Amino acid sequence: MNFFTRLVVDFAYFLNASIAYQRQKRFFYDVLENDKYPYKKHFDIFMIALIFSSVAILIVEVKSEINIYLKIFNIYVISIIFLVEYVLRFWISSSVSDMIIKKSEHAVALGRKFYLYKALLSAAKEKLRFVLSIKAIIDLLAILPLFHELRLLRLFVVFRVFKLFRYTKSFQAFASVLATKKFEFFILFIFSSIVIFVSSVLVYVMEAQNPKSPINTLFDALYWSIVTIATVGYGDIVAVTTEGRMVAIFVIIAGISVLAFTTSIVVSAFTEKLDEVREIRTVDTIRGLKHFYLICGYESVAQEVVKKLKNTKYGVIVLDEDAQRVENAKKDGLIAINYDPGDVESYEKLGIDINLQVKTILCLRESDIENVYTTLTVRSISKDVNIISLLMDDANRKKLIFAGANEIFYPKGLVGMIAKELTGRPVAFEVIHALRNDYYGVDVEEILVDERMSQNILYVSELNCAKFRIILLGIYKKNTKRFFFNPLEETMLESGDYLLFIGNNAFMGEFEKYLHKKIRR
Amino acid sequence: MKKAALIFGYNDYALEIAKNLKSGYEKVTIYALGSEVDALKNSHDVEIKSFDLSDNWSNIDEDTDRENSIAFCVLEDSAENIFLTISLRSSFENLNIIALSNNKQTASKLQMAGANKVIPLVQTTAEMIAEMLQKPIVKEVFHNILFQNSTLKIAQVKMNEGNIYVGKEISEIDWSIKYGVVVLALVHKDMSSEFIYSYKIKHHIIDKDDVFIVVGYAKDIKEFEEMTGSRCD
Repeated sequence: MNFFTRLVVDFAYFLNASIAYQRQKRFFYDVLENDKYPYKKHFDIFMIALIFSSVAILIVEVKSEINIYLKIFNIYVISIIFLVEYVLRFWISSSVSDMIIKKSEHAVALGRKFYLYKALLSAAKEKLRFVLSIKAIIDLLAILPLFHELRLLRLFVVFRVFKLFRYTKSFQAFASVLATKKFEFFILFIFSSIVIFVSSVLVYVMEAQNPKSPINTLFDALYWSIVTIATVGYGDIVAVTTEGRMVAIFVIIAGISVLAFTTSIVVSAFTEKLDEVREIRTVDTIRGLKHFYLICGYESVAQEVVKKLKNTKYGVIVLDEDAQRVENAKKDGLIAINYDPGDVESYEKLGIDINLQVKTILCLRESDIENVYTTLTVRSISKDVNIISLLMDDANRKKLIFAGANEIFYPKGLVGMIAKELTGRPVAFEVIHALRNDYYGVDVEEILVDERMSQNILYVSELNCAKFRIILLGIYKKNTKRFFFNPLEETMLESGDYLLFIGNNAFMGEFEKYLHKKIRR
Repeated sequence: MKKAALIFGYNDYALEIAKNLKSGYEKVTIYALGSEVDALKNSHDVEIKSFDLSDNWSNIDEDTDRENSIAFCVLEDSAENIFLTISLRSSFENLNIIALSNNKQTASKLQMAGANKVIPLVQTTAEMIAEMLQKPIVKEVFHNILFQNSTLKIAQVKMNEGNIYVGKEISEIDWSIKYGVVVLALVHKDMSSEFIYSYKIKHHIIDKDDVFIVVGYAKDIKEFEEMTGSRCD
């Protein structure tokens, strides 16, 4: 390896090892290409706004003189932003240093001589693939108005509209749906081309020599043919001879066939792909949620849990392998997706950050086998996420714990405990039940003592519960993880503590406002 | 005559109920529909008898106080469970019947059939799960008060005639400071309960036989009972 090659390879290793360089590249990749990156949508909206403003300026410019600043903005500012974007996309499209390292290590491993030009050629091929892609060509055309001295190039502003494809998912979905019918469209194109060609020539031959006919050139014939086959029929150019009209009948019939065929291709493409398009939409919506509960299995308990969670500040997402249950969830107004909760791939397809986005995963299938499987799957992805599971048979409790469930609900055991209370202290049980379920307008609330509240209110005596006719049931101390019932007036409040209050709903709301407003004297 | 718990239906629910009631009743019997009894499941050695859905209740022991006992209808088939409830109610007018339901529709039918109390299984489980998610500390505290052997207890305390609080307005009294108990609700003589935080109860004059639902440590509740009346759990 000569000195220069050695230098280039070393530099490639340096770039690959450089945290700052990789961080920058990663950042631009996220902003430009990574749909999961939360700030990408802001960038997309910014670019869409630029495109529309650019086209709007072009339209206004046609019939009136526009402000010089607007001109500068349109020609230079927008074009330069697009140029920078193009360069960045070119940069992140592939890694030259990666390619050099890969080829160099490959050569070393096989004991062959390393040729730098071969590695650079491979890297150039990768870059060329980007440059020749449809999206990159549109991007390049959108930059051309920068050279506005050439009047024709100014018209390339219109190409900026095509850039919308890049930023709008609906267009991409539409294009991908139609792309599935490439073969059918190709057949249609060939058929239409033959009909147009044959009919243009025929009508030209029949009509061109007739002085009364408006078809005088082959272009007129071609125009007439396309207008007729499209079933538009402007009527500005018509066939006047009998022979020409015979050709027209043939083209009209062919036109109806082409239209019907086109419609059927588009409709069938959308029918076949509609579920996929909807799925993409649902996944995007889920990715966009900041925090949510993930319900795995939408059976009777899950349906009731969802009703109870309707006022939650977090979203509720349903994952179920059964299409009918997913439909039921959708009918109940939920975001639901037909993925198997027991399959790791489902979570990969969702593309969510389980630790950050998911508050709790609820395994609510009425089958212990399914719940254990789902719990194990989720636990294999995340060690920390909170998992609550339903238990149908007490014999499987250990399995669920072993799989990693944090909390287990065993309805049968609950029935036993309720039975005991109902026979022992029925009224007390009913009172607690009513309290927990916000019956009669009386509710029990837990309020977190935040940093500000702990600075404003130092002791229990300062809570002023009597004024709001609220009762402080107790304090849950974060540091000791203990509940202190009916605390003394001089008990100190600390940030992170939870206060349990019982009181009338209306007073409770006012009381909460008071707690957060109170300013220390 | 023995005060008994009669559990109709042989399944996990019945066994869980039997396990929890064993200490509180002189006699706990599970009645299995038909003859299919899986003896292996019965790890708590509860007496098991068979029954059918005819109105022949001769297999309920003669020494059982049928009118004052408690019956649990826990058949897994909703229609059979409703039929059983109607049969029991038509035969024993004063029997306290608690029935298990799997959905709202069955719950209202069971009530129409004569059940004194219906446990809506799905709703109750869902309520607890939702509470666990939204108010985990409330769930923990109440669950411990109700179902676990926590030091914190809930009790129903009846006001005896002649205690110092009879004749006083509720708003004048603060038992949380004096006895360390928190009053949740007042139960009137007609057994209708009212939360202590409602508007009109503030001016309620305490009368003898008023029942208060209080939460507190066992020792404090005992002291409160001694001063005000008697426990009526």
